[in-house]
Amino acid sequence: MDIILQKISEYLQKGDEEKVFELTKQAIGHNFDTKEILDNGLIAGMNIIGEQFKKHEIFLPDVLMAAKAMYAGMDQLKPLLIKDGIQGMGKIVLGTVHGDLHDIGKNLVGIMLKGAGFEVIDLGRDVPAEKFVDTALNEQVKVIGLSALLTTTMSVMKEVISILKVKDTTNSIKTIVGGAPLSKDYAKEIGADAYAYDSANAVESVKELIGVN
Amino acid sequence: MSEIINFNISEIIPTREEILREQGVSQGIEVKEKINKLILKALDIFKSKAQPVGILSEISIKGFEEVFIGEGKNAKDTPLENIFPQADYLALFALTISKKVSETISKFFKENDFAIGSLLDSIATLASYKGTKVIEKYFQKSIQKKHLTKQETTVLSYSPGYCGWHISGQKKLFQFLRPEKIGLSLNASFLMTPLKSVSGIIVYGKKEIHIFQDNYPFCLECKTHSCRARMKKLINQ
Ligand code: B1M
Repeated sequence: MDIILQKISEYLQKGDEEKVFELTKQAIGHNFDTKEILDNGLIAGMNIIGEQFKKHEIFLPDVLMAAKAMYAGMDQLKPLLIKDGIQGMGKIVLGTVHGDLHDIGKNLVGIMLKGAGFEVIDLGRDVPAEKFVDTALNEQVKVIGLSALLTTTMSVMKEVISILKVKDTTNSIKTIVGGAPLSKDYAKEIGADAYAYDSANAVESVKELIGVN
Repeated sequence: MSEIINFNISEIIPTREEILREQGVSQGIEVKEKINKLILKALDIFKSKAQPVGILSEISIKGFEEVFIGEGKNAKDTPLENIFPQADYLALFALTISKKVSETISKFFKENDFAIGSLLDSIATLASYKGTKVIEKYFQKSIQKKHLTKQETTVLSYSPGYCGWHISGQKKLFQFLRPEKIGLSLNASFLMTPLKSVSGIIVYGKKEIHIFQDNYPFCLECKTHSCRARMKKLINQ
């Protein structure tokens, strides 16, 4: 791997967004392949961060500083990725279900997914069931991610899955659910394809759902 | 009659150690200097945005019976239904840290400033817990002043959504307390806006009444078991 890409990964791990911005610009200037900068620079760095976080070697603020640095690099790569028609790991629609305004957990899941190379369509919070499905269909998304922090809003997840069933799309669109009051059993009961306890597990589960590793 | 309580930000500011623990950093572990600087920045932002305010209203045991029944969705057996009839005095309360703090957290996340957004979120959460303690103490002092009680009493609060008191209990609590006066509103899922808010009942009485075994059916699903730490603290008081 070229030294400049290695440096991008290293500075990303240090959470140095200015250096990542500068080095990504340099790499583009040196005509590096866009996908190479993404995979071997930015995503490589975020993967190391994700592993270290899972092993409790680093902490949430470290991950979040690294994520900011990744976005600084991504901002420059995005137009090139679109121009070159380069596909990432896949698209996911994410949101906190209708009636619920808790979004910190959902945001963390989104940050980790983007860090792993997924394109995340974040619908925000208080999202009606139909909007998840409509967006997934319009954007040809393979996974819908649902977050809820209250027992009173968990039922909206079931609604989303019911709509997918009615539209006969449960084979093409998979669902993953998460949030404090949820459990693996509840996810199974409502027919969700996956449940994740935290953001690191969410990335693993989404990868499994779409068959990449 | 309800009373509005404006408390000082200094009373609810968490320490650096508390913030780090809320962020999942174990006690004693040193973090990067950059993180320490971000904590200081987040604390400054919190001080400039927070407008903590609470509302308190004394309620009789009979009156609270009705509030507690709520929408009839409580667990069959709950610790609170055994605790509150033994109270000397009760008060409903609600408090909020302010809309501005929640808006600022969202703004940071939108602008990719995740670390500072998350630190501010932790500070606001800890401030909500501390605010509850401030209101508890305020109620304790006012009762002691009003009724000249000097006996060995304690105060402890309970909230809808915890320990079998169904979250829909928020509806009756709101009808009685009217926390709209301090800018709080309730949605159809019984969630309060602004997000960093707490509501509940403060129980004034002997500390023994708060001790229970956490082996209710709903305890099996509880992920926090915060009752254990609360009881331990009371016993050691
Ligand atoms: C798509 O795939 C995926 C995959 C994984 C996914 C995912 C999606 N979404 C999330 N995940 C997962 O990954 C994320 C990152 O690791 C995680 O996301 P989380 O969002 O869970 O995690 C966040 C990063 C940090 N976690 C949190 O922010 C929530 C933690 C707990 C302890 C909590 C806190 C801190 C607070 N609260 Co409250 N609070 C609780 C929570 C109990 C718990 N064990 O989680 C919960 C949610 N609260 C509850 C309650 C009842 C309340 N709270 C209230 C207040 C508060 C505080 C203000 C004190 C504070 C901050 C709230 C906030 N979120 O801003 C009140 C409501 C506030 C309001 N506005 O209406 C109040 C109603 C109490 C009251 N009467 O005052 C409970 C809800 C119970 C219910 N019946 O639904 C509760 C479960 C606690 C309990 N009883 O055990 C995972 O869940």
